Amino acid sequence: MGLFDTIRSVFGTSAEADATRDADPEDLFGMSTAYLTMEAELDFRPLGTAALCFSSVDSTDFADTVDEVEAILHAGEEETGTGFRRHRDDHGYHWVVLDDDDPEDLVTSVHFAADTFVEQGYGSRLLAAVFGFERDGQRAYWIYSFRRGAYYPFAPAGDHERDQRLEFKLETVLDGELDVEDDEGYWYPLWPDAPGGHPWN
Amino acid sequence: MEWKSDWGLRGRMVLTMFLLFALYIVFVAVLWEFTGSLLLIVLTMGLFSLGQFFFSDRLALYSMGARTVEEDEYPRLHAMVGRLSQQADLPKPKVAVADSNVPNAFATGRSRKNSAVCVTTGLLRTLDEDELEGVLAHELAHVKNRDVAVMTIASFLSTLAFMVVRWGWLFGGGRDRQGGGGGVLVAILVSLVVWIVSFLLIRALSRYREFAADRGGAMITGKPSALASALLKIDGRMDRVPDRDMREQAEMNAFFIIPIRSGIVGKLFSTHPSTEKRVERLRDLEREMETV
Repeated sequence: MGLFDTIRSVFGTSAEADATRDADPEDLFGMSTAYLTMEAELDFRPLGTAALCFSSVDSTDFADTVDEVEAILHAGEEETGTGFRRHRDDHGYHWVVLDDDDPEDLVTSVHFAADTFVEQGYGSRLLAAVFGFERDGQRAYWIYSFRRGAYYPFAPAGDHERDQRLEFKLETVLDGELDVEDDEGYWYPLWPDAPGGHPWN
Repeated sequence: MEWKSDWGLRGRMVLTMFLLFALYIVFVAVLWEFTGSLLLIVLTMGLFSLGQFFFSDRLALYSMGARTVEEDEYPRLHAMVGRLSQQADLPKPKVAVADSNVPNAFATGRSRKNSAVCVTTGLLRTLDEDELEGVLAHELAHVKNRDVAVMTIASFLSTLAFMVVRWGWLFGGGRDRQGGGGGVLVAILVSLVVWIVSFLLIRALSRYREFAADRGGAMITGKPSALASALLKIDGRMDRVPDRDMREQAEMNAFFIIPIRSGIVGKLFSTHPSTEKRVERLRDLEREMETV
């Protein structure tokens, strides 16, 4: 707990400061090498899908921003062949889902979308970027939390259970390469809408 | 877009805290000057408050008859709190539900790591998804702003002043070597003034913290209008609930989203600003969003 945070608490502005703090999408590029390590060290193959989760704002300006992101990704679809779709989950949060067999292109597209939000002044609405992996039917995800500016692993097992051993293993192997969130209280799960699905569908 | 900071609100908050602090310094100085023995109470009260502070989360939940619920019992509520905490950059607090028809919610806990948000079953029945989200975000803003700690610290010496007013005469009786009976009398009178003035200041501070939590909550959800409509809905319901519940819950007022009013309580005495004022400010935020 820093001095500034204490002062903000006294002013009663901690909540608004942290809810509107901007995001830094440059951290996303760390995933490029993480994809290689995941496969080389742990046999986790990329799922070929990554997604960006954001919460909306009740304004026309925000709707315009989302349109702009869509236009950019549509253009990218023709250029790099990165498939793109929108999804609204059961909790009312929005997703931009990207499909590409080349992890490099996935990271670039996710960064591109995130950067557009930040540039339009809506970086604070970005919740998470999710990158999917698979090993013999076992799924695992690396989630980048824009609020924390850090990554954490998420390994769902069955209905609303987490494979904590696997999560800690992922943390141990990737720590240093990725900026891993050290406080597990912030490893928020992103459960799929239906068991067996991905967080983004 | 950038939100405009509410400097007026911050200014008033700091002024209130400053006045409270100044008042407390005078109070402690007077106690020190006129009585030695009363300082014993200060120590006892200090320990007592510390204990209360430490157990505050469990105490508040217990006194409300609330129960911490697991993820499989209330999966949607848990998911909602989780996502909102993520947006607010908070570890996910405990989630509790109180079986009561009065639609209300409160947050408790001494620190961000030891906090709980509690909703009543009446609230879950009354509000739709967006409105519930607005109310939960308001409570998370309280946790984020450390309002339980701020209000506990702000009220500590006020409670002490009250104790002196109430029990100070026990120390009169002429046996006090330092100041004698006269000294104790002065201490009691000063305590009375301190108690009254600090009471009003604390209530003002509480109202400012509510405005701040409304702002914070609206920025977490990005939907100020959802919280506004929730407040209007809950406020409308308040008049129709049986008053037995009201009296039972009167003590918890300070941390409720909308206080339960018992009779005609002056504006100065209420812990929460009026719903009209809060809704008005949320509408301002809404307008700000559309006119960037």
